[in-house]
Amino acid sequence: MNLLLQTCSLIFGLMPFNRTQVDSNIAVDYSLVLVMPLLYLFCYYTVNFSGFSVRHLPTCNSICSLSSKLLMHVGCFLYLTIYFLTLLRQKGFYIEFEKRLTEIDELVGECIKVADTQNKLFVPKKKRLYYFTWIIILATFAFAIFYDINEMSQYYGPYCFISNMVFTFPYVAGSIVQGMFASYVSVISERFSTLNILFEKINHESDKRNLPIAVMDIENDAHKDDTYGGPAVISDLARRKNRFQQKQKGVKSDDRSNNNDSDFAEDEDSADEAYSFDEYDETRLSDGKTSEENLPSLFKLHDKILSLSVLVNAEFGAQCVPYMAACFVITIFSIFLETKVMFIVGGKNHVMDYVIYLYVIWSFTTMMVGYFVLRLCCNTNAHSKQSAMIVHEIMQKKPTFMLGNDVYYNKMKAFTLQFLHWEGYFQFNGIGLFALDYTFIFSTVSAATSYLIVLLQFDMTATLKNEGLTPKVFSTESN
Amino acid sequence: MAHRTVQPILVHFGTLFMFCKVLGLYPHDLQAFQRMHTLQGSKIGTAFVCATILAVVVAYNFLIYSFADEDRELKEAQSTLTFVIGIFLTYIGLGMMLTDQWSALRNQSKIGELYERIRAVDEQLLRENIVVDISKTSQRILIMLALTVICEVTILVSTYIILVDYTKWISLLWIFSCFPTFYNSLDKIWFANTLNALRQRFFMINTALDGMVESHEKLKRWANTGGDSLLSTRKPSIANVSIDASIEYLYKDFTHMEAVKKFNMPRNKITPIAHSLNFYGESFETPKKPYKLSIQPPSFNMVYESELSRDIEKVEENLNNLCQLHDEICEIGKQLNELWSYPILVLMAYGFLIFTAQLYFLYCATQKQNIPSLFRSAKDPYITTIYLCYTAGKCIYLIYLSWKTSLESKRTGICLHKCGVVADNNLLYEIVNHLSLKLLNHSVDFSACGFFTLDMETLYGVSGGITSYLIILIQFNLAAQQAKDAIHNADESVSAMPTTDGGNTTALMELFTTTFLSSIHTTPY
Repeated sequence: MNLLLQTCSLIFGLMPFNRTQVDSNIAVDYSLVLVMPLLYLFCYYTVNFSGFSVRHLPTCNSICSLSSKLLMHVGCFLYLTIYFLTLLRQKGFYIEFEKRLTEIDELVGECIKVADTQNKLFVPKKKRLYYFTWIIILATFAFAIFYDINEMSQYYGPYCFISNMVFTFPYVAGSIVQGMFASYVSVISERFSTLNILFEKINHESDKRNLPIAVMDIENDAHKDDTYGGPAVISDLARRKNRFQQKQKGVKSDDRSNNNDSDFAEDEDSADEAYSFDEYDETRLSDGKTSEENLPSLFKLHDKILSLSVLVNAEFGAQCVPYMAACFVITIFSIFLETKVMFIVGGKNHVMDYVIYLYVIWSFTTMMVGYFVLRLCCNTNAHSKQSAMIVHEIMQKKPTFMLGNDVYYNKMKAFTLQFLHWEGYFQFNGIGLFALDYTFIFSTVSAATSYLIVLLQFDMTATLKNEGLTPKVFSTESN
Repeated sequence: MAHRTVQPILVHFGTLFMFCKVLGLYPHDLQAFQRMHTLQGSKIGTAFVCATILAVVVAYNFLIYSFADEDRELKEAQSTLTFVIGIFLTYIGLGMMLTDQWSALRNQSKIGELYERIRAVDEQLLRENIVVDISKTSQRILIMLALTVICEVTILVSTYIILVDYTKWISLLWIFSCFPTFYNSLDKIWFANTLNALRQRFFMINTALDGMVESHEKLKRWANTGGDSLLSTRKPSIANVSIDASIEYLYKDFTHMEAVKKFNMPRNKITPIAHSLNFYGESFETPKKPYKLSIQPPSFNMVYESELSRDIEKVEENLNNLCQLHDEICEIGKQLNELWSYPILVLMAYGFLIFTAQLYFLYCATQKQNIPSLFRSAKDPYITTIYLCYTAGKCIYLIYLSWKTSLESKRTGICLHKCGVVADNNLLYEIVNHLSLKLLNHSVDFSACGFFTLDMETLYGVSGGITSYLIILIQFNLAAQQAKDAIHNADESVSAMPTTDGGNTTALMELFTTTFLSSIHTTPY
């Protein structure tokens, strides 16, 4: 996991210390986990019951007070649910995850050893996009936190800390948990793409591989004399294969261009394109060795990684629900306040502006984090699906190693069938309520639109007038 | 294995059955249940249920009639919307109870068969050495019963004390207001526990398959640690076996060359072991194949205790049986779903409508408007919370359980394939592929009469629906209120400053916060 994210989650009390050690002092491990919510609750209590809050400021009008209350309560709901779900996830999860991951990595390492003799398979990835994403995220969060602290310190001086705890902390904490989820998913996604590279290698080998000398001889014979029964079959096969090759090449190039468009992921850059066809020829010429004996362990790996993602999803999927819900509510109200209040009487009341800007900032930030989570989940799904597609391709080509025995055919068939079962059983989801992919964005956007239509119908002018905020249009008219 | 018998799960339904029988929800024969734990139809029971239906309907109508004075006021107060909603929703609780009882009457001959099938499945599972632990069932039923009773009693008593004028004797009729929901809950507890039993059986099948995989993996690990020296001796056999598998091919010579070449290559350590095990396992499991070719160390035989490495025919039979059982449980699930389809549909409709209505009336009550007399619990936010939790809990639990059962049944395919992968044997692969296709076609998707499937996505949709309907309802209410105010103001010819306007908007915003939050709260954790 990313070091920064790890430190943040440790500081925010969202992860116990020594998370991968079974026997360490519980009191030490969970100290911060217990302190942080108590601190939060204390601040929440202070803000709500002892008048230490934005809405008790003299300049705060009804709209401002209402929206700050909403922001605060949504934040409280978000933090508390996420915190309790974090408490439920004990160290067992981290230990289990690490254990399974090392198991997978060992297997992957062995597979790579078999497949990759010249270390040409894995060229270092381009990390530009990855750093770019991180910079944007960090900048957004830094700006959000800075804005809140800066504004509040005008009113409360050093005590602004209490207000910040209530308004900013829950959203940051929620985002960190989502970040943890995203990083786990990206780890899984990486493994999947490594797997795909290995599958692809087998595919290319079966694609480009020169037919063995024996067969070639037979084929030549067949060209001379077509009356032979057995060899004719083989030559047919070979011809078909050649035709396939050409076709596949065309398809492949299309695929590659598509991939380049869609694959600009946060934590993983698809390395499928990292190698070229020529390298394969080279490898093959140097020794006739192939990596199809990797297949069984690759299938096993695929299965293992999928079960790992089930584990991760079970732990983090539930936390997505309050986060997405909070994001939804905040976004709707930020649009509402922006269009109905800010647009008309913006700049007249400083406190109100502050609260509305908080809405805008946090809606943007949470949406961004939510989008990254969704994209990573989607990418992972796509990667796992791609493996099945590649295996199908291999099956279609009938490579030479499959000619001899049924076992490879049956294995591949079993794998694709199993993938069908997996597809029905698992997808990244928030406890089944929604699938974590782009369809979720569509459904939330449509829901948000209908709510916004209803909300925007409300006539706020009377309220604004009551608060002494004359809309700009009216003031010019009166003049 | 005839000496081992299985208990029918109905043994644990005793308390629940007594409740249902005494209250006149189920018509089944009490003595048959107590003696043999079967559900049989009974004419006396039918008559009793009919009598209860009649009595409750009469009492409920009487209750509505005697509390109707306020409703008349409501009509006069021109809040037509509230009045219409009230009339419509007053009877849905009663309708729900009637559906439950009617379907219990209709199903009384079929339901016994259902439990008989479950028992048959249990017996077959036992034959496969899978023991289903059903001792928790009665405990779960008791917990659910206790929760139901606590919720009902709290709602009833608190409403009665706080909101009903208990000086009049007629107010005692209020007791009947909780009858429909209580009957419904009992019926749903019965359904939920049966469903849970099915889920447990799916789970047991999955664990059995997982267990096979694990034991085989252990065996492999043993082979890995102890079999280093064996590796060299087995190498020749591998090549031979792979030829054997491909004997039907014309170009076997070529393959032979390939195979030999392949196995003579220098490789890293682990992968060849896995490979050699596969082929070795094959040769062991199918004794028809030439034995003498493989030089077997005698000690190796003794550790073969994994089920997957037994005689291939036995393994096939075993897996086949498990698949048959899976199919049977799926069929039982379908039958169960069919028997309870109307009650479930009505329950979901009831949950949706009541949830919306209760929140709407809560809004009305905070705005000091009149609300229908039967929904007086909405006047108090705490009672409303309990009531909503109770209703939502009932619906959500059923949905959650159906979803989980469905998922559990889908997992069987994956577990089955794991068996195939871990054994890594051609014949087994063929069997597994065949069975897996079969499993893909078994599906238990629980639905309410086919209108919608009972899974969490429906819940997501429904919670969105509740929120949007609520907003629309409140908007209508606001518009009506404003129109009334306008008339009122014109009548009294007071200055046309609409003071309520701003207040209403603020109250509305406040309500949005509550509704949004509560709609979020409906999603279970």
